[in-house]
Amino acid sequence: MKNKIKELRIKLNITQEELAKLAGVRRETIVFLEQGKYNPSLNLAYQVAKALKTDIEKLFIFE
Amino acid sequence: MLNNSNTKTMTLKQYQWLRMTIAVILAIIFSQAIIFRNYLIPIAAITLAFLVLILAKKKVKGVIADERDYAIGGKAALLTIQVYSWLAVIAMFILYAQKDLNPAYEPIALTLAYSTCLLMITYGLIFRYYDKINFLDKKVIYTILIILVFVAVVIFGIRLFSGEDDWLCQNGQWVQHGHPDFPQPTRECK
Repeated sequence: MKNKIKELRIKLNITQEELAKLAGVRRETIVFLEQGKYNPSLNLAYQVAKALKTDIEKLFIFE
Repeated sequence: MLNNSNTKTMTLKQYQWLRMTIAVILAIIFSQAIIFRNYLIPIAAITLAFLVLILAKKKVKGVIADERDYAIGGKAALLTIQVYSWLAVIAMFILYAQKDLNPAYEPIALTLAYSTCLLMITYGLIFRYYDKINFLDKKVIYTILIILVFVAVVIFGIRLFSGEDDWLCQNGQWVQHGHPDFPQPTRECK
């Protein structure tokens, strides 16, 4: 599943480490999320969207 | 191992180092215990290590494992069980078929068979538990784990101190009771 995590994170000027802290996961998970190699749970998707001040529908591209 | 800035917290890296150090120490203790035939020290050591790791885990600042780790862990565990079960079953049949060549093959084959059965039963029970009961209820999980550890320790203790598989002194002679894995005592039997 594609997403705009990296794009929004850079826009907000936050590091992967900081985003991981905000979402309550390890930095590696953010790396995998950004690369589209891991599909998060609904809870994590919500936490990431919240940390990036956006909505799940805008953050993840459901194809 | 504690952080200088805050003595009550621990970084993830420090925790990982502690965990690795404990694993090495446990391996040394286990090997020495096998050499000296002392099986109580490893139990005490593993219990102590378990407690130390629980305490250290509470002091860690940051996420030790997240949902991706649990997902990977689940897949890895399932694959490990399947691989181990197949290998153990094949090895068991080969060893059992060759028991006439060496009598020591039979107990090894039986140990493999029983351990595989135990592994599958445990997996089945835990799968059933997660399937039916709220897996977020940690108190229930900890209670079951404590009961299982207690039962295992009791069984091991009974087996160890019951006098089974030992040499008994009867009428001035050493009599074999069960199948002791050590030779007849050299001291005088009175």
